[in-house]
Amino acid sequence: MVGKRKHMSGARWIITAVAVAGALVAAGCGSSGGKSTTPSSTSGTKAPSTAAVSTSQCGTKAGAAATGTPIPLGVIVTNQPGTSFTDISNMAAAYFACVNANGGIKGHPIKYYIETEQTNPAQIAADAKQLVQTDHVVGIVGNTSIIECSIDSSYWQKLGYDIIDSGIAPECWSTPNSAAVNMGPRYSSDGAVQYALSKHVSKIVFDQSNVPGTGYIAAGPAALAGAAHVPITQLTENVPISDADSVAIKEVDDAGPNGAVVLNFTPPEALVILQAAQKLGLEDRVKLWGCSTPCNTDFLATSLGPKWNDKLFVNAELTPPDVTSTPTMKLYEAMLKQYGKAVSGGIGSFSQMGFTEAEIAVHALETITGPYTVASVNAAFKAVSNFNTGMLCQTWTYGSYSMHIPNNEDYTVTPDNGKMVTAQGCTQISSVDPQIKAYRSLAGTAPPAG
Amino acid sequence: MADTAVAAARPGQRSPLPRPGTGTLVRAGVVAALLLFALFGLPQLLSLYYIDSMTQVAVWSMAALGLGVLVGRVGLVSLGQVAVLAIGAWVAARLLFATAQPYPLVLLEAGLITMLTGTLIGLPALRLRGLYLALITLMLAGAITVVLATANFPNGGHGFFGYNGSLVNIPPIRRPGVAGSDPAYFRYAVVVAALMFLLVLVHIRTRPGRAWAAIRQSEPAALAAGINTWFYKLWALALASFITGVAGGVLAGADHYLYSIDFPTYYSITLLAVVLMGGAYSLWGAIVAGLLWQLLPSLLQNWGVSADWLTILFGVGVLQVLTTAPAGLADQVPKDLARLGRLLRGLATRRTT
Amino acid sequence: MPSWQDFEPFIVSGLALGGVYALSGVGMVVLYQATGVVYLAFGAVGAMGALIAWSLINDAHTPGWVGWLVCVAFGAVVTLGYGMVFGPALAKRDPLVKAVATLGLTLVLFGLMDLLWTTSGGESRAITLPTDGGGFMIGQVQVDWTQVIGLAAGIVITVVTGAFLRYTKLGTAMRAMANDREITATLGVPVRRVEAAAWLGCGVLAGVAGVLLADLVALDATTLTFLVISSLAAALIARLRSITLTFAAAILIGLVHDLLTPINSLTNYRDMTPFVLAAVALLVLSRGRVLSRSREEM
Repeated sequence: MVGKRKHMSGARWIITAVAVAGALVAAGCGSSGGKSTTPSSTSGTKAPSTAAVSTSQCGTKAGAAATGTPIPLGVIVTNQPGTSFTDISNMAAAYFACVNANGGIKGHPIKYYIETEQTNPAQIAADAKQLVQTDHVVGIVGNTSIIECSIDSSYWQKLGYDIIDSGIAPECWSTPNSAAVNMGPRYSSDGAVQYALSKHVSKIVFDQSNVPGTGYIAAGPAALAGAAHVPITQLTENVPISDADSVAIKEVDDAGPNGAVVLNFTPPEALVILQAAQKLGLEDRVKLWGCSTPCNTDFLATSLGPKWNDKLFVNAELTPPDVTSTPTMKLYEAMLKQYGKAVSGGIGSFSQMGFTEAEIAVHALETITGPYTVASVNAAFKAVSNFNTGMLCQTWTYGSYSMHIPNNEDYTVTPDNGKMVTAQGCTQISSVDPQIKAYRSLAGTAPPAG
Repeated sequence: MADTAVAAARPGQRSPLPRPGTGTLVRAGVVAALLLFALFGLPQLLSLYYIDSMTQVAVWSMAALGLGVLVGRVGLVSLGQVAVLAIGAWVAARLLFATAQPYPLVLLEAGLITMLTGTLIGLPALRLRGLYLALITLMLAGAITVVLATANFPNGGHGFFGYNGSLVNIPPIRRPGVAGSDPAYFRYAVVVAALMFLLVLVHIRTRPGRAWAAIRQSEPAALAAGINTWFYKLWALALASFITGVAGGVLAGADHYLYSIDFPTYYSITLLAVVLMGGAYSLWGAIVAGLLWQLLPSLLQNWGVSADWLTILFGVGVLQVLTTAPAGLADQVPKDLARLGRLLRGLATRRTT
Repeated sequence: MPSWQDFEPFIVSGLALGGVYALSGVGMVVLYQATGVVYLAFGAVGAMGALIAWSLINDAHTPGWVGWLVCVAFGAVVTLGYGMVFGPALAKRDPLVKAVATLGLTLVLFGLMDLLWTTSGGESRAITLPTDGGGFMIGQVQVDWTQVIGLAAGIVITVVTGAFLRYTKLGTAMRAMANDREITATLGVPVRRVEAAAWLGCGVLAGVAGVLLADLVALDATTLTFLVISSLAAALIARLRSITLTFAAAILIGLVHDLLTPINSLTNYRDMTPFVLAAVALLVLSRGRVLSRSREEM
């Protein structure tokens, strides 16, 4: 019996080993398969003049590889099943790689340390300490995390880091040490609600995912609807949603035929709700549907059918790539192609945010004349003023304010047969939102990016 | 740890704690040395990144210890321990925000309230056996997770729930005055964990431990021997809930911020996986489980390996443990090392002959 | 309190949701009856099959039915493989150990799915069936064909499986094994082959459920993998014994869950429905009964 057991245990080990090997092989196949799952949004409608754009304009000395002492920068991004922001950090890394290949920062290459986290507060705090104490980063660029700003903001303040991020948690906009390139869930929802209000709807139903900060997010739309004397119902859904049908029915019933349903969810969750509404024939039972910026992906436009053309209006925090062919946009697309192999989502708001954050950082670093220390780098970040990123409605400013909402003017887009097209150009988020009002009283209104 | 395989004690017989023999003294010495090293050596050697991870190891070792008491000692599988941990963390956070009580008192209260809640909720479930008990704990955990998602964790707000969803600046959960910095809090967590392990050890060496061993062998036989199985199962449940509640309290201070998304139902499944892999029966197994669950991800992160590989590893680990090494790594590794030692000795003697 | 009209549309969606829970619940109960294994990887297997189908349909541009067939085949192969490799190894262990082992498979698949189908670019995936977008009205309520299919699939699977177990030789053998494996083996029933058939059948069900759930619920690895916990509630209410009762319990769970939606004070707690109902059924309604699997006490 013992011998038989040993024999079986040997067989079991072999099977386990085979299973793991099979998994490795599958992962190898899968990652290439994963790449090809990106619907290439560059096909068809884009002007093909990207071929002529040289990525070397990202740096100061075309073709000269930077070989000096590296400038270490760090980033913390969420990467867990269902929520992954690694495209943002990977695109920023691509930008830095481009700069390093074209002169660096006065000959110094940028070394980018990427820490991923699974929404675990202790892990996020540990990641920040790793970046500072072990990797000795002098600046933090590109943080995108559901809760990082809340966890680390006092740590960054204590050590004097002024981070450039694409935020989600309230502290990304309400503390002195964080300035975001995006608007985040509250102000983006403001934008979507504002658009709905501009179409004279009689009721707003605002539904969001039940992740940290729902009250903070809900306060914006509540203020806007209140000022317009339009009733607003605030709902939350536990995610992941397993009963999208009942969610869609509930929203539509509450909004009524002249109402609007505005959603604030991650793309997969927003998709199931909208698809459920479509399957149940509910999409026309309200005047219009709105969504905050996560819905602004071509994935969503493709997955939804043509029924949502001019029916769903999505707030877009960044300049829509599909209808823009400025030099910066062309650079972005060329850089993505040449250096962005790890960016699985291709052209879209995630990689755009990464590009913009890196662009700002590089612009700031190039102004530094002495050594690259925590003090000098973060002073340079804070000194960024009215910088035209080419990706936003306005110029971007950091500044020494107690709070930062530098991106407060956005587009509205709508699906058009599988792509997102502009429905409304740059529109300011209303000062009725008390946080926006507070920021504008500190920083004024930034000039439009001409 | 091996002398718990004693036949069921006769009811009413009160035997004193066994006198320590040399083996026990050596083991105690080793444990003391390791403890001192953890308290004073590790903070010097490790970066803050790893100290933070080790604090989590201490917390989750306690959770694993609680589950180990249930699974390893009594044979009750609970698929809802993370929900119990969440309750402990919630209570501690609420008390820390609402009162100025000293930390040890808060931890004690968190443990006791969790013990009460866990026992009350688990009481009716004790009637069930084996599979049904495990599955019902999964159901209860699912229910608690939904309640937590709606009630949220305290964040300094007012009212019973202490949650203010509109805050633009969330205050952190405080730490004890003597243990504010990360290395100091790590030491604090290790001390608390050591106390919990001692508590379990005392239980194992005295009457409850013998009763549990008898129940684990055969419940009908234990009943026949006059052991009040229901009472001892309840005791195990109470002890496990208390320890997990205290662990939740330590977690609240470690994390500073608590979110319901950090306690999903399926974490209870993964906790069971690591407890089985570490070894549910052995106290060392709980520490191994904590290391697997909290230190490995930090290491993998530094090596650039995705956390998904860890999930896969745990899955494979569960299958491997259940089919070939039921007592887990804590039991298997010493056996493997002993086997290796014998092999080497055999090779050495063969060479000399 | 909402009016009857407010509740009406939720009755339809609740029935469809119940059908969805029934798909997984019945599949698990059948396997448990035949092999003593609560197949907690049911959801993960279906989810991975659905993702493979999605990749085939969207990347390799295979026709829809090929993708779904591959999903079903994947479910069958993985389940049968697991059953044949780990079934004998754990055959003598109690059902609890067998159930926990399937959790191992669940974790492996869950990790693999996140590795292979990334969400780092904001990807949102969807499976659509030809029946989506068509429907009819019952009174004021729109009913979608896929919802009908969800409910119908639950009914069909329950009826067919019940008939299979009662009237076919293989089904009777499975029921005999559920009752007492040892005696059944002694009677000359090819126990291993019957087991294999049970595993295969369950795997096919997992694949079918995978496609339907991916359409009816969401094509998301986390959602689909852990949806099985809610389906398990239905199976538990039936005490893992009766598939008809599982079906009825699933419908009840779906209905109660959705009917709570318009009630503002309870709507945020409606996701507790499967768990509360299962707890009540097992803890309150079965007072005085010791639950165990035939003569095997844990």
